[in-house]
This record gives sequence, structure tokens and C-alpha cells, in this order.
Amino acid sequence: MKKRIFFILVFAQCAGSVFAQSEAEFDSIYNRFQIEEVEVTARALNKDIIVPQTLKGEELQRLNALSVADALRYFSGVQLKDYGGVGGIKTINVRSMGSQHTAVYYNGIQLGNAQNGQVDLGRFSLDNMEEIQLFNGQKSDIFQSAREFGAAGNVYLTTRKPYFLPNEKVHVHAQMRCGSFALANPNVGIDVKLTDGLSLTLDAEYVYSDGKYPFRYRRVLPNGEVAYDTTAVRQNGDVNAVRAEIGLHHYYRTTGFWRVHAYNYYSERGVPGAIVNNVWKNGERLWDRNSFVQAQWQDEWFNRWSTRLLVKYANDYTHYQNYDIKLLPSNNEYLQQEAYLSFANKVQIFNWWDMSVAYDYQYNTLKRDEWVSGLTDQRFDRHSHWLSAATAFNVKEYLRLQASVLMTSISNQQSAISVQPKFTPGIFASFRPYPKIDLSLNAFYKQSYRYPTFNDLYYTDLGNANLRPELARQHSVEVAYRFSNDKRQTTNDFGYELSFSASYYYNRVTDKIIAYPKGQQFRWTMLNLGTVKINGVDAKADMSFYLPLRFVLRSRLGYTYQKAIDVTNPNDTYYGHQIPYIPWHSGSVVAELDWTSKRGDHYGFSYSFIYVGERYSQQENIIYNYVQPWYTHDLSIYGEWNVHPCRLKANIEINNLLGQDYEVIQNYPMPKQNVRCTLAVKY
Amino acid sequence: MYFSRQILIGCWLLALSSWLFTSCRKDEVIYPTIPTNVTDEVQEGGLYVLCEGNMGSNKARLDYMNLETGTYYANWYGAQNPKQVKELGDVGNDIAVYGNRLYAVINCSHKVEVMDLQAHRIGQVDIANCRYLAFHGDKAYVSAYVGSLADPDLLGSVFEIDTATLQITREVKVGHQPDELCVVDDKLYVVNSGGYLTDRYDSTLSVIDLASFTEIEKIPVGLNPTRIRKDDHGHLWICCQGNYKDILPQVVVYDRTNVLKRIPTPCANISIYGETAYIIDNEAKTVKTISVENYVLSPFTFHLSPSYENPYGLLATKDALYVTDAKNYVSSGVLHCYSYDGHERWQAVTGDIPGHLCRVGEAMQTDTTDTINHYTSYIQHVYEYMPAMGQFVNILPKYEEGDDAEAMIQKCEKALANNAGGTVTLGGWGGYITFGFDHPVKNEEGRDIRILGNAFYMAGSTEYGSSEPGIVLVSVDENANGLPDDTWYELKGCLYDDPTTDHAFSRTYTRESDTIRNAFHDQPYYPQWLTADAYTLYGAKLAPQSVTISGQNVQRILEFGYVDNKPNTDLEGTSFDISWAVDANGNAVQLDSIHFVRVYNAADEILELTGELSTEITGAIDLHINN
Repeated sequence: MKKRIFFILVFAQCAGSVFAQSEAEFDSIYNRFQIEEVEVTARALNKDIIVPQTLKGEELQRLNALSVADALRYFSGVQLKDYGGVGGIKTINVRSMGSQHTAVYYNGIQLGNAQNGQVDLGRFSLDNMEEIQLFNGQKSDIFQSAREFGAAGNVYLTTRKPYFLPNEKVHVHAQMRCGSFALANPNVGIDVKLTDGLSLTLDAEYVYSDGKYPFRYRRVLPNGEVAYDTTAVRQNGDVNAVRAEIGLHHYYRTTGFWRVHAYNYYSERGVPGAIVNNVWKNGERLWDRNSFVQAQWQDEWFNRWSTRLLVKYANDYTHYQNYDIKLLPSNNEYLQQEAYLSFANKVQIFNWWDMSVAYDYQYNTLKRDEWVSGLTDQRFDRHSHWLSAATAFNVKEYLRLQASVLMTSISNQQSAISVQPKFTPGIFASFRPYPKIDLSLNAFYKQSYRYPTFNDLYYTDLGNANLRPELARQHSVEVAYRFSNDKRQTTNDFGYELSFSASYYYNRVTDKIIAYPKGQQFRWTMLNLGTVKINGVDAKADMSFYLPLRFVLRSRLGYTYQKAIDVTNPNDTYYGHQIPYIPWHSGSVVAELDWTSKRGDHYGFSYSFIYVGERYSQQENIIYNYVQPWYTHDLSIYGEWNVHPCRLKANIEINNLLGQDYEVIQNYPMPKQNVRCTLAVKY
Repeated sequence: MYFSRQILIGCWLLALSSWLFTSCRKDEVIYPTIPTNVTDEVQEGGLYVLCEGNMGSNKARLDYMNLETGTYYANWYGAQNPKQVKELGDVGNDIAVYGNRLYAVINCSHKVEVMDLQAHRIGQVDIANCRYLAFHGDKAYVSAYVGSLADPDLLGSVFEIDTATLQITREVKVGHQPDELCVVDDKLYVVNSGGYLTDRYDSTLSVIDLASFTEIEKIPVGLNPTRIRKDDHGHLWICCQGNYKDILPQVVVYDRTNVLKRIPTPCANISIYGETAYIIDNEAKTVKTISVENYVLSPFTFHLSPSYENPYGLLATKDALYVTDAKNYVSSGVLHCYSYDGHERWQAVTGDIPGHLCRVGEAMQTDTTDTINHYTSYIQHVYEYMPAMGQFVNILPKYEEGDDAEAMIQKCEKALANNAGGTVTLGGWGGYITFGFDHPVKNEEGRDIRILGNAFYMAGSTEYGSSEPGIVLVSVDENANGLPDDTWYELKGCLYDDPTTDHAFSRTYTRESDTIRNAFHDQPYYPQWLTADAYTLYGAKLAPQSVTISGQNVQRILEFGYVDNKPNTDLEGTSFDISWAVDANGNAVQLDSIHFVRVYNAADEILELTGELSTEITGAIDLHINN
């Protein structure tokens, strides 16, 4: 056993000792190993100065979740905006600072959307996802690209990495998922070991759903009598999407690593729209193509100096058409291109002192054609430069400190205003009072800017080219505690791994970019107007209990309290009110009971519960804007069997078990009870 | 044991976390109506405030200010129509009173909502992307950004609606994105804003001949015209918004031949009363006043308080000027009331984007304040129920052992009162019911009372269908004893003067004769609660109207004046005018108001398949009442 752990360790070291996600990678491999071998060993002490929330491996695959967005609902401090259905837009808002303060990274490089700054996480499949991590503030490791220091919240998506046991050359993964609302979702993945260090991964997926789910509006009079009770079927919510990815990984010597990854996503979907009086159907259609190629190279010299180079080219096309003759006819096309380069270096000065410097450059361009209004061939471009310096040092075992400063300089070619570089600092500390107990007290302060998007600046009639970036200041303290029983000798012994953490944070967002009515009627403009004060508490617990007879009980609890109030102007009627769509209370529970047979088959049962408390749909906290809490219970059962030489998996999920009629966003009804079945074969 | 303690902790935590989420989902209650007293001052009548609400929010809200009590009712429409699915709708864009009806244009719900003056919904007219309203004769005109067929050039249309039937009668294509419109001398003037065409705004005024309903002229007036109002001199005042860049906004005064004056000023809104035009200068945050006689800017200006963020709605009336502040468009607005000396009299908090105002005066003037809160528009009492023998007698309502006449009356009341929606049969010829409201029904212009039945049209026809005509009698509580024992007057229907109508018919029904049953209803047809073994009914009898069309036994639908003759979807056809009242000799009588209504079955036919024709009643509504 020890030997195999050692092998994995060495493998992980080779693969990524200097790679940003080395620890995560190590964990994921290690974790997988554990699951397969049903062996519990003490984990290394948590070295993260910023403890991320992580979902990975089997746990991630067994969640009642179809997309990355569904999985992120289980993280504390995260609010998901979900317009409903497979095709509905899903974005996240971390700690109430606004979705544009959250950066999403795909295998280490940020996904961009210079047009509106939002990444639709509903489009990212979980099927080839190995790990999802959320870091508040920034990632622990100072060896990162400059731009990564720039966001307030960071979500890292890591796709499956190939790994081969000796004598293995090919892994194949094929999966079919079907479900309610005509969901059909086949997925195939192939990993090939080309040489000892070089491997290739391919992954392709297709998703179809007609999106025709029933929904119900029922209202009662104050005396309890039914005022109306109407059921209808969501229309124009179909989605048709294809994703294909190819990756080439190469590990060389013991320190070097490079990887090239190409991604292509194409979709056509209906935009089902808001359900309002007399309107039960809308006619907007959306076509998207997102393509990118990214490459990463890194190496280490003299055991002290690490270098990483990232390059990316992205080409995103969106076509929006409105077929609804009742509305403004639209036929708009948008083409965005992005070129990105990052060069990061880290030097270990002493064992206890690291420094890093990184420089990033990015070029964005948007071509906009609005065929109906005749505003065609509008072009906007932007050059961005980031320069970061960071340092980390450890005071013995007790204290870890990290400080970073980022200089951002963004110039929009079409803006007349002069560009002043912005400096944003971040300081992080982690104190571990007892060397043998995994208890840590963590704290950070960080500033970050959210830059205006092309839409904010240049949207026809609405944009304001004079916008300043929006500033978020975060203060956070955290207590984290982990303990586990590592005395298990046989699978019949009890064992457990528990981790708890609680954080309190205070954020302040100033110069918030919001739409505000212009002097003239019916017209809006974007303004730096708005200040939001956020006080919040996140608490979470991860508990795994290893029971006799090879039973494992895993549970995950999360709770978030947020008071996010508008403090822009004491004369506003909504001064001091909770900002829209932020619930005071929210939380989730996941519990999973897994049983392993003697020959390594798995059977399990998983339950999850998500709760989002009462909130308001607009700035004023008045009864006309009140939105009720919603909560869903999801169940799934699964089995995994070894059928030499394959491993078979089957999973049946029932979502929204009690069929609650709820809305995350007002007038966008969510699906009632629905079912998904998955069958997968792994070779 | 040590381990199980850990497990216990785990389970306990699980339970705790579930318990934490105690705030559970409850039944979704309709939005309440919230009254607020905002002033002690008394003005006449009331003021409707249509709040637009943001697109997609479904928060169009109709508020009502009762000027006589100084009470502002948020979400008044909701109180009047709590059962309307998804409430008033998305983006309220215009409101107007015409005749005794209130019309609201709900832009993104693509409909014109038609209500009585108390905002009880009467019906709706579906018009895609409708914008503004104007009236002339018995027609309403609605501008819409799109026509009934999508236009490749994005031209909009004006639709003509028959206010009696609420049907679209004609359509005329105009310019790009037509907004406000008004009628002068049998011509309709509509401004084409071109609001969808950024940087290519329209600048024309379409002139439509009402007789032929064709566009006879398109006159350039100024870039991006959005508002048009007429003054008492027959001149048109047009607000052109410019391009929000280098071409500035202006007010254009047009005498329908020449432009008399161009007044450069921001003009978010305009309202004309008497000899003065009031214009919102949304940049200076003032309301300017201009003489309509000589177009001279008066030195007197309403300086709006610094609390105004976005002056938006405007209405000038004889005794007050109302200005709304839409704030940031996504929060509650404010309605301000000024006297003409510029003094602010009161203000009230409205819904989101209070944009459109209209005053209801005379119609609600006299007893508005009393009725508006206490009286209901639906049947409150059933006084008498005496069906003739028939197949549904003892079923609708259900007779149960031991019921006496009073118990049956209670059952009728339960079925009909407060719009309960139940059905009461009157049985064969002569059967009747007598009911009343919690107030006298006034005889005002137009129809006064709606009585609902279960008539329907034959597929594809409005001439034939299931018609079981009942005659309406009304009476005034002359002896003021609260009982229907006074003189009855018949509301004269279309067959009153027809020679086939027998005005002095009577028939005696006996328990003995209760022998013939049809295949579907084998209960006794004689009213079981009667102690007497016979009873006689008196009244008029209409000639048989049944015919057989493609094998179906149907009746000719009568033109007007009978209950259970036209379907409930026909508002006019199910409504009655107290002015139709005649005395026993057929002489017209003028009744100011009535207390009691009686309906009796005037049809005397037994059909082979469906049994006798028998009037059914499913409710009645006073069309004038404030709830």
C-alpha cells in the first residue's frame, strides 16, 4: 500500500510540483486512490493559506448536477442566478459583490467575456470535470498569472487529467444520460498514453433538451381561497449543444510540463423569456460558438526558480434573433476575439520565503452587427496589461503570510478618457497555533476592480464611455479545523474525516456600475452610482464516516448568511435595504451513503437539499418585491460494477422531489420534479 | 462509544441545519391593496395612476387616489380583480376614461385592458406592442409599434376598436413606431417616433381619415415626436425629443396646416388644460407653462423640489396639477399634487414608474367615498325563488329532505352572491328568481347591470346557439320595507313589440302532472319544498325560436334584452339598461335607481333531446359600483 501511495506521490510531484494546482491535483488523484482502495490514511496538514471550497472526483460526479452551475450551488457564499431549464442562463455571484467580480478559470486560464463580463456556467458540463474550486480572494499559491490576482472571487474548473497505471495505454469513457424534458446527453472521452510522458485526451458531448417543462402559478386570496391556479408548459426553451475538446499533456524531466488544450462549443437555443400576463411564449433564439486554444508551459530551474508561460486565443460568436413579431425585431451578431499572454516567475529565496512576478497582456475585440437598426460593423477593442508582484513567507510552522500587489492598466480604444493604472493590494495571513492540530485562523484583505465591459461602455444608447471601474474591498476572517481518525486497520473499523470552517466577511463595493435613467424619457445610461455594504458569514462542514461492512457516509453542509445593503444615498427609499436577489439565509445539505462490495462494486444513495431564503426582486424591500424562499430536495441512487475489463456505472436522479413551484428570478419559473438517468462505461 | 458519538454529532448537525431553514414557503398570496391617507384636503372624484413597472417584471400597477377622502390605494386593480391570472401585466403604457369605462394599454402584455370606472375588468383587446389610446364616437384607436402582419420596414399601425364589442374593426399602417395620437375633426393624428431606429428616428405625423381609415398624409414635424395633444383651439402640440445628441428637443405647435411655433425645450411630458399647456422640462426639473393662445412661455414655472430624480407623468386638471417622479425606474415613484399657485398640496408613494394619470370625476363623484369601500358590485341577496317544473329543478340548487322555500333561497344566494359562480335554474316557462345588491343600482348612461347565464353560440355562428331567454323585471323599494313587494317594470327586450309575444300568459303547475321525465333526469320535476300541490305563474311568453341546423337543435339568438340569450363573453349582450323599463301598459318609465331585479323564463319549448328551454342564472353585476 505504502508503495502505491508513493508512486502516486511521485507522479503528482513530477506532474505538478511547481504547477499551480499541484495540491489539488495531488488530492484528486489521492482521493481517487482512496476510494478505489477503501483505505484511510492521515492527510497532510492543510497548507492552504486560503482554504478553497472544493468538489471533485466521485463526489462531484454523484451530485445531482448537470452543469458546473448546478454544482456551485453547494458552495457557501455563492448565489446562483438561474433562468431555468437546461438552456437557461446560469451565473454566480460570490459574496454578493456581483457576478462580474467572479473570475472563472478553465484549466488555469480565465474564461473571458469582454462583452458583458458574465460567464454562463450552465454551459460547462460536469462530465469531464475533475474538480471545481472556489477561492475567496485569490488562490493560495503566489505562483499565478497576474490577472488571477485581479478578481474578488475565483472559480477554477479543472478537467479530467489522464493518468495511467503501468501497462495501461488507453482509457475510454462513454456515457449516456437521458431525462425529463427530452434530455439526451451522450458523452465520450478517450485518454491515450502516447509515450511515458506524453498523453492525449479527447472529450465530446452532445446535449439536447426540448425544455418543455410544466410550471404552475397558484395564488390565493388573503382568506385562503384560490385566486388563480394555472399550469402551463415552458415554450421556446430548447437547447441543442455540442462540445468537443482535445488536450495534449507532456511531462518531461522531473520538473517540466506543457499542455495544449483546444475547446469548441456550439449551441442553438431558445430564450424562453419572462412569463407575464397574456404572454406565455417568446420567440427569441440564440446561437453561440465558443472556441479557444490555450497552451501552458512551465518548468523549474535550480530547484528555486519556476517559470510559467500561458497563451490563449479565443473566438466567440453569438447570434441573437427575435422571431416574436410583437417585439422589436432583432437580428444581432457579435464576434469577440481574445488574445492572451502571461509570463509568471517564482523564486524561492529561502525555504520560507517565495517571491513572484507576473506580467499578462490581453487584447479583446468585439465586432457588433445589429442588422435591424442598421448599426453594423461596429468595432471596439481593448488592450489590457497586468503586472503583479507577490510574496509569501512562513514564520516557522505557525504563521504564513502572503502579500500581493497588482497593477492594472486597461485602455479602450474608443474611450476618450485617459487611463490611469490602478493598483490593488491583497494581504493574506494564516495562523496555525498547534503544529499537530489542523486548526488554522485565516484572514485577508483585498481590493479588486471590476472593469466596465464593452456593453457598459458602448451599448447602443445605453453605454457610457466615461465609466470608472467598480471597486470591491474585501475583509475576511476564517477559522478552519480538520481532524480525522487515522487508526483504521481493517475495513471493519470506524474512521472519520471531519472538517469545519466558518468565516465572517465584510465587503464594500463602491462606484458600482448600474443602469440609471438618463434625463430623457425611456432612456437609460450606465453610471458609477452605487455603494453596497456586505456583512456575511459562511459556515461549512464536510464529514466522512467510515463504517463497518465497507459503508461510507459522507455529508456536506453549508450555510450562508448575508446582509448586503445599499448605502448609496440616504435619501433613496431603498437606502439600507437588502440588494435584489440576495437572500439573508441560504444553505445546502448533501448526504451520501456508499457501500462497497468485496469485489469493489459500489452502491449508494445520495440526498441533497438546497435552501434559498426570502429575498427581494428589486432594490426596495417592500411587499410588492418580496420573493418567497425556495428549497428543493434531490435524490439519487447509483451503482458501479467491475465487469472486466470495464467499470460500469448507473445513476438515477430525481430532482425537485416534492415538485416545488419556484422561481430563482421572478417570472422565470423553474422545472418541477424531474428525472435523469445516466449509464456510463469506463475502460 | 467514541465513534458513535462522532456520528451522533454529525447527525445532530444535519438535523440542526435543516432546522435552521425554518422560514418555509407559504401559499403565494396575491399582492395586497394598501390604502394610505395622504391628505385631509378634499377634491372631487378620483385619480387613477398607471405605474409602468419594468419590462419583464409584470409589475404594471393601477393605483387609485380617492380625492374625496385623501386616500391613496396602491394596487387598486388587484383589489378589484384578484383572480386575474398574473395580475394587470407587464409595462402599463397609457390610461384613459371614455364613457363609463376605463381603458389601460399594457404594452408588453400586448393588450388593452377594459374596465368599468371602478377598475373591474370587463375584458381585453389583444394588440401586439400597443402604445397609446384615443377615442372618437363609439370607437377607440390604439397605436401599436407593430401591425397585425410584421412589416419589413418596421412600420407600425393604428387599430380601431368597437367599444361595444371590444373587437378590432379596422387597421391602418402608419410610420415607424407610432406613439401618441389624438382625434380632431374626424381626423386622427398620430406621431411616428421611430423609437426602434437609433440614429434614424422618424419625424413625421400621420394623418388618418377616420371615414375611410386610410393615411392621407405624412407630415414632417420634427425629429422623434413622441407626444401629441390638442388644445381647445384645435391646434396640435407635439413633443419632439430630438436625437438625444446634437438635435435638441422641441415642442411644435401645429394648426393642422402650418407649424405655428417651434419652442425649443426639453419636453418629457405635456398636459393641456384650458388656455395653458404644461410641459415637463426634465433637464431643469421644472414644469413650464405656455399660453395656448400666443405660445408665450409664461414666467410662472413650477420648480420641482430637489428630491425629484426623474419627473415623468403629468396631468393638468381644473383644480390641480399632478406631477410624478419616476425616481430610478426600479423603485417606487412619487405622485405630487400642486395647486396652480405652485404650492405642493400632497404627495403619495406609487408603484414603479408612475407614468400615466387620468382623473375620474362626475361618474364617481356623488357617493364614491361611501361606495368605494363598502358596496360590492355582485348580487348580495336572493329574495325569491320559484322555478317552474323542469328537469333541473331540485338539482340546481339541490333540494335536500326537509328544505323549505327559505332554505332553497339561501342555497340560491350561496350559488350566486359575491360572484360565487354557481348556477340556478328557473325551470320551465314562468319560473323566476328575485335578487338584489347591497345598494341601489343607478340608472346611468349606457348599460347598468350585467346578468350572467350559460348561453353559447353554435360553432361558427353568432346568430344561432343555445338561447334560453329570460325577461328582466326591476323594481324600486317604494314602501322602503326592504322587500320586493313593489311595482315591477319590465326591461323591454327586442321582442317586446313583436306580435308573436303573448304578454298575458299564465300556467298552473301541479304535483300531479309531474310524470313525464327525460332519460337524463329522473328526479321529481315539481319543486319538492312546496307544500301546496299546485301553483300558477304569470308573465309574457315568447314564440318558439328553435330551428334545426345540420341536425342540431338550436335557437335563434335574440338581438338584445334577454337573460341567458347571449354568451357571458359578450359584455354588451349580457348587459341591461334600466332606461329600457316600461310599465304594465308598455309606457317607458324613468327610474333613477332600482333595488330589486327579477328574472323569469319567457321561453316555452320542450326539445326532444335536451328537454325544456329554461333560463339559467350564474350571477349579476352592477356595472357602476365601486368596491
